[in-house]
Amino acid sequence: MILIIGSAASGKKEYVKSLGYTDADISCDFHDDRPVLYGLETIVFADTTLCDELATVLLSKEVVICCEVGSGIIPAEKGNREAREATGRLCALLAKKADKVVRLVCGIPIVIKE
Amino acid sequence: MNILLTGGSACGKSTYAEKLISTLENEHRYYIATMRPYDDECIKKIERHRKQRESGRFITIEQPVSIGSLILPHRGTALLECMCNLCANEMFDESGNMRDPFDDIINGIEKLKAQCRHLIVVTNDVGGEYSAEYDSTTNAYIQTLGALNAHLASDFDCVYELVCSIPLVLKGELLI
Repeated sequence: MILIIGSAASGKKEYVKSLGYTDADISCDFHDDRPVLYGLETIVFADTTLCDELATVLLSKEVVICCEVGSGIIPAEKGNREAREATGRLCALLAKKADKVVRLVCGIPIVIKE
Repeated sequence: MNILLTGGSACGKSTYAEKLISTLENEHRYYIATMRPYDDECIKKIERHRKQRESGRFITIEQPVSIGSLILPHRGTALLECMCNLCANEMFDESGNMRDPFDDIINGIEKLKAQCRHLIVVTNDVGGEYSAEYDSTTNAYIQTLGALNAHLASDFDCVYELVCSIPLVLKGELLI
């Protein structure tokens, strides 16, 4: 599995397409059997209790795309704080098991694990 | 050797910092905790960090303010966690009054450094997101913590950013 991270609009999806994937390969629904999961952070923010179940499913994907959400001021709202931490922890776990981790900065892919 | 560790929430800074200190220091490992246990969420976080450290033979020192007054029992290696809390604790009193804590914190870190073989400081890049909704107090905090981070980064030997538990070198060499 390749984990792709980066801030919002940093070029993550474009990078995935440069690897040969098309829109038809990309899904925001983790129950879907398409090879690329996009927007992991929105799934975690919708329900943080899904994380354990998610980890298993995500490791069977070819590509997982997630926004980095841990920077900036800690949110005042508890649910947002918890979701931010849950996303961070899940990404750390996925990165440990991923074959490759790529971070997008201004559209530039930086391989941080291979 | 002085090392600054930065990175977003839950990116693996603490785990990495504890691994780092274990490779740098066998004898006197100090954990300088700056978080004030003012609600359940903080208490849970403190508890989680405490459990994480159980096998590491740390002496924990609670020091939410006044780092400069700290006297370590022996020369050793300290892990200060974290600059974000220390800055907020020094900057705002319980009634929310604000002051500029920059000089006190930097002087405090200098005094701590003088007592340490190695010092590891954990921080966060709170300026990493923009919001038009931040009030002037929040913006002042972002500015102060950013200035502290930049000062420490220029002074310290190594600066690493943790991303998904992977250390990226921003300055110096990667030790582990």
